[in-house]
Amino acid sequence: MSTGRTMLAHGRTALEPRRLAIIGIALAALAVWTALPPWMIRWEGVPVALGLLAAAAGLAAVTRGERRLGSWALALAGVATVAAIWAQTKDESSLGAVLNTGLLAATLRFATPLAFAALGGLFSERSGVVNIGLEGMMLMGAFFGIWATIWSGSWVVGVLCAMVFGGLLAAVHAVFSIHLRADQIVSGFAMNFLALGLTGYLFISIYGLQGTPPGVDRIPDVHLGFLHDLPALGGLLGPVFGQLNLLIWVVLALVVIVHVVIFRTAIGLRIRAVGEHPRAADTVGISVSRVRYGAVILSGMLAALGGAYLSVGFVGSFGQNMTAGRGFIALAALIFGKWKPIPTFGACLLFGFASGLAQRLQAEADISANLISTLPYILVLAALVGVVGRSVPPAAVGRPYVKQ
Amino acid sequence: MTEAPVLELRGITKRFPGVLANDDIHFDLRRGEVHALLGENGAGKSTLMNILYGLYRPDAGQILLNGSPVEIDSPRAAIDHGIGMVHQHFMLIPVMTVAENIVLAAEPTVGGVFLDTAAARSRVEQLADRFSFAIDPDARVENISVGQQQRVEILKALYRRADILILDEPTAVLTPQESQELFAILQELRKEGMSIIFISHKLNEVLEIADRITVLRRGRRIDTLAASGATETELARLMVGREVLLEVEKAPASPGEVLLEAEGLRVLDDRGLEAVRGLSLAIRAGEILGVAGVDGNGQSELIDALSGLRKTVAGRVRLLGRDVTDASADERLERGLGHIPEDRQRRGLVLDFTIAENVVLHDYDKPPFARAGWTFPRQMTERARALIEEFDVRGGGPETLARSLSGGNQQKVILAREVAREPSVLLAAQPTRGLDVGAIEFIHRRLVRERDAGRAILLVSFELDEILSLADRIVVLYEGRIVGEYGPNVSEHELGIAMTGGRAA
Repeated sequence: MSTGRTMLAHGRTALEPRRLAIIGIALAALAVWTALPPWMIRWEGVPVALGLLAAAAGLAAVTRGERRLGSWALALAGVATVAAIWAQTKDESSLGAVLNTGLLAATLRFATPLAFAALGGLFSERSGVVNIGLEGMMLMGAFFGIWATIWSGSWVVGVLCAMVFGGLLAAVHAVFSIHLRADQIVSGFAMNFLALGLTGYLFISIYGLQGTPPGVDRIPDVHLGFLHDLPALGGLLGPVFGQLNLLIWVVLALVVIVHVVIFRTAIGLRIRAVGEHPRAADTVGISVSRVRYGAVILSGMLAALGGAYLSVGFVGSFGQNMTAGRGFIALAALIFGKWKPIPTFGACLLFGFASGLAQRLQAEADISANLISTLPYILVLAALVGVVGRSVPPAAVGRPYVKQ
Repeated sequence: MTEAPVLELRGITKRFPGVLANDDIHFDLRRGEVHALLGENGAGKSTLMNILYGLYRPDAGQILLNGSPVEIDSPRAAIDHGIGMVHQHFMLIPVMTVAENIVLAAEPTVGGVFLDTAAARSRVEQLADRFSFAIDPDARVENISVGQQQRVEILKALYRRADILILDEPTAVLTPQESQELFAILQELRKEGMSIIFISHKLNEVLEIADRITVLRRGRRIDTLAASGATETELARLMVGREVLLEVEKAPASPGEVLLEAEGLRVLDDRGLEAVRGLSLAIRAGEILGVAGVDGNGQSELIDALSGLRKTVAGRVRLLGRDVTDASADERLERGLGHIPEDRQRRGLVLDFTIAENVVLHDYDKPPFARAGWTFPRQMTERARALIEEFDVRGGGPETLARSLSGGNQQKVILAREVAREPSVLLAAQPTRGLDVGAIEFIHRRLVRERDAGRAILLVSFELDEILSLADRIVVLYEGRIVGEYGPNVSEHELGIAMTGGRAA
């Protein structure tokens, strides 16, 4: 009601509110940049002035009806001004230690497990089944991945085994939520506790207190030495992409594949149909339960790949509850990305960046390490608040389908 | 007619717990005919068609297509046998495009995997051209009109090469104009050799479109007759099982003082656009004022503003002489307003409450239902029991959930609640939408009785028949303004012209 009226009232204004908000966000970014190389401005007046301008633009946008982007501009103006003033107290070398190409590589490393789980969740939720058990399925993948790697001596077996057990846990969730029509949130939560208890118990009973043995076969990194030698961009591409884990490349490919599958194939159309209007799908002869079983089990397998990346790819060992809430962050990324593969991956990168930044700041900053490690989670909250009301889930998500 | 019928149903029987939904039903459909299936809600029409479409399995009986028996155990099988169905509640996915909805589950592909969007679009365009439908294959279903959505449903069936088309209450959601357009399409399809089953409970349209009519009542086939020569009275009697008064009997009104008055009312709709634009009206005791008009000309906003559910931007509302413009809905109810909302399931009832709880929805906190903050459920039950008896609510007792009642009985519960409070003014918005003949008759008679008891009744309806048979005075609403006022004997033609803004010939 209000938006319609404001549109009428301000239809003639030269500056669209949306553009105002974007200008505000850009000004906020500029405020931070002035404190960083190559500018290295060391006078508080600059970021404060820019921050005030950004806030003014944001406020103007909000009052003209662009609530969402406008509030973003307002919030970012505040954060950016504080961040810039803080950065002004640092010299170039310590800033360089935090902000370098290594941060970009870290972003990819942190984003990968999230992206596997989020892309898995995308299949499940697009088909109409909420999968809050992604966390547990990741954990299954992390544990059984390393267990099978140690047992067989080969990471390939480990990864396959991770997918099998992630898929199994997802199948249990599928039976509860599709066949037995249980509440999907409750079932998903149960899966998380089941995975936590099971992997915790097996971990202690198999490996005891000393944990997984050292020297486990790891998922290899892909070395692209030639990137360093590229003329113009070698300095950037080399350190970022020159030595990434195989699964990071897999997830990059997967984003594209999932996009194509969901939006460009018959299977994808059917999955979306089942998640939007299962009865309509049923009346044209699509088996709703078959599609949902397939999607949920696939989501478990992909989430488990994310878990296996953590244990077999990244760390080379397992620790109890080592996924530490990443499954939930993946869900947030999925919502933030509006259930679309590419924006969802973008959200994963954002969270990955926050994690990477937090890790680096812990070493450099004089702020409590614990406080800084909450950065990614604060970002999750901000992101969710920012898009609430705009991100529309599949219409039938969470609702069991009862055939007539 | 020596040719075997395209479709024959023999002795179809279907039991649900406690109900015999279909009892030994015989039905046949000839090539190129429109065969109407007529019956009240709950007569077993939809059950029979769901059996034909493979959604239910019959307990007994046989389905024959072109003379040979077939098994139809799923919608897939029905589609494969050339049966298409347009469901009453459309089976369309709002966020997808027209083309995507049409090709779903039978998608043209490249290499068996990738969607061939271009081929889908061109096939939809070809089909649409052949039957001269105007439709944009790339439009999202949520952005097109209900009438167009129905065409998408028909195209879905045509795309799957259906030669038998089932339409379940297709006009329930359409405006009169859209209904006429649908009938033209059906004639076109019939010429192409399509056989059509047309499910309805509206007598006039069945007579208009059908070649033959089969009447069902309480799960049984009562009769099959040719449409030519049949009359509405005859069909109504077959359908309901007794003589039905299609005309409402009423004495001329004897209007008293003005009870509800609106002056220069301006109201915004949900999008913030002005839906009611300076409207004034007055309703007197003992009269029914009919508000005619095509859906979407400000009816909902007018009713909301009068009942206090929506703020007005300008104008005054007076109830029994007192200004209630800024009074809440609750205060207006207290001062003698009754309201039968247009959406009975969303606004009229709490579906998951019992009849008793629904009946005391306004007065649950007043004696005798409550004293000093304590409620007395037994009093509520007693009130409900009395009203169920008086208003002939069938299908449950005071403890029955409103959700499990049929539409007609749900509406009777709402009518009972509002009337029992003895309001001075009763707003009735679409009081009989989607109801069957028996329930309509009951509600019409009751409204006239309440008028005779001296209440002022505002009747908003999109059905001209209803307005003409009930109203003592008729105003026509067009684009938020009253464009004409008429006596009860105005012709349908004259009203029709006013309803389209007076521009028609």
